[in-house]
Amino acid sequence: MLSPKDSSLGKLLSQYVCVRITRMDTTDVGLFDRDWNNAVYFFALNAEEQIYLRYGGRDAASPDTYLDLNSLEVALAQSLAQHQRYLSGELKLEPRPAPFFPREIPLLVQRTFAQRQCVECHLIGDFQNIQREQDGTLDKLTHLYRSPDIKTIGIYLDVPKGLVVKEAQGAALAAGMRPGDRIARWNDTPVLTFGDVQYRYDKVDRRAKTVTVSVDRAGTPLDLAIALPDRWWWTDLRFRQSSVDPRSDFEDRALTGDEKRKLGLKPDGFASYVKHVGELAKALKTHELRVGDIIVAVDGVDHDDLANTAELYIKLRKKAGQSVMLDVLREGQRIPMQLNTHILSFRK
Amino acid sequence: MTMVQQLAVLACAAGFTAGLMHAEDKSIDWLGDYREALRQARQTRKPLFVEFRCEA
Repeated sequence: MLSPKDSSLGKLLSQYVCVRITRMDTTDVGLFDRDWNNAVYFFALNAEEQIYLRYGGRDAASPDTYLDLNSLEVALAQSLAQHQRYLSGELKLEPRPAPFFPREIPLLVQRTFAQRQCVECHLIGDFQNIQREQDGTLDKLTHLYRSPDIKTIGIYLDVPKGLVVKEAQGAALAAGMRPGDRIARWNDTPVLTFGDVQYRYDKVDRRAKTVTVSVDRAGTPLDLAIALPDRWWWTDLRFRQSSVDPRSDFEDRALTGDEKRKLGLKPDGFASYVKHVGELAKALKTHELRVGDIIVAVDGVDHDDLANTAELYIKLRKKAGQSVMLDVLREGQRIPMQLNTHILSFRK
Repeated sequence: MTMVQQLAVLACAAGFTAGLMHAEDKSIDWLGDYREALRQARQTRKPLFVEFRCEA
């Protein structure tokens, strides 16, 4: 038994009013905004609906990379301390976000409420994006690539300890981050949990070149300016139930400079090597790519300011369901090939 | 992601919350109504702990 009445977790939880929400129909999703592709997520807040912390979040590899009962206890204790500061008038929190309810998303009303279907968490994010796409306000870098991965900038947490850094690599290491540092602020906003970090990281402008991470190192506060690498916002979208994500059923990698030179391709083009073809490609007959093919261009375009592979170019520049014409190198021959992207349909 | 993988995702998440569910069995009163929870938090001056869980 992990948390009996007299366990440390049980004692912490008993100091809260606990509530479990499984339908989003009447939930203020403006207040409880988050990445909607999490099957479980927690908030600690006060009766004025000022949020102390978020607990949850995931990476593309697993839904429970950052879920841990020890770190939950750390979080619960931290928000109790915040609550004491609030009760004593010491704590200044951000203003409550503007209310926003699922019924304010017209497409969600049409396709879910009207069908008397359960408004599941992931439907909020998906229908927000479908609505944005329809309204012309969809920003794929922000709305499709939610929750950038902190490992991309080299931050590996000691998960049971909350925001204590286990290992720093790459950009984080170069900025001076060290094992044992405890992350305290993200771009000058206080953070207490991985959920807070992921939420704040998601708020960073995708054109930003640096992010300032403030750490506590043995009692000494330090500000670290971490240089953001190209495509720092990129994550594998395959776990997401997203209808605005054009699915193309192949994986590729960018060709190296040497590979491009040998093939006589543009050094700054997005030519890419097909390394995997999904089963759906055969089942749905979406394309005839094979492992080893090199995609040189998509609809005659071979360069993009953001995309470094053909697959990413399609994700960023095409709509789900759209067909494109690929320029493919196979066994020395250059061949045109149609690819039909498709839309994920998940129990709408 | 296949349906099997999606179910696996939910199963993993359910595994994590199993500990909390034990707490519920023994002592923790998990409300199902957010408005009622808010009312109780005002009355008791306790903070709220809100769990969102997809049960689909």
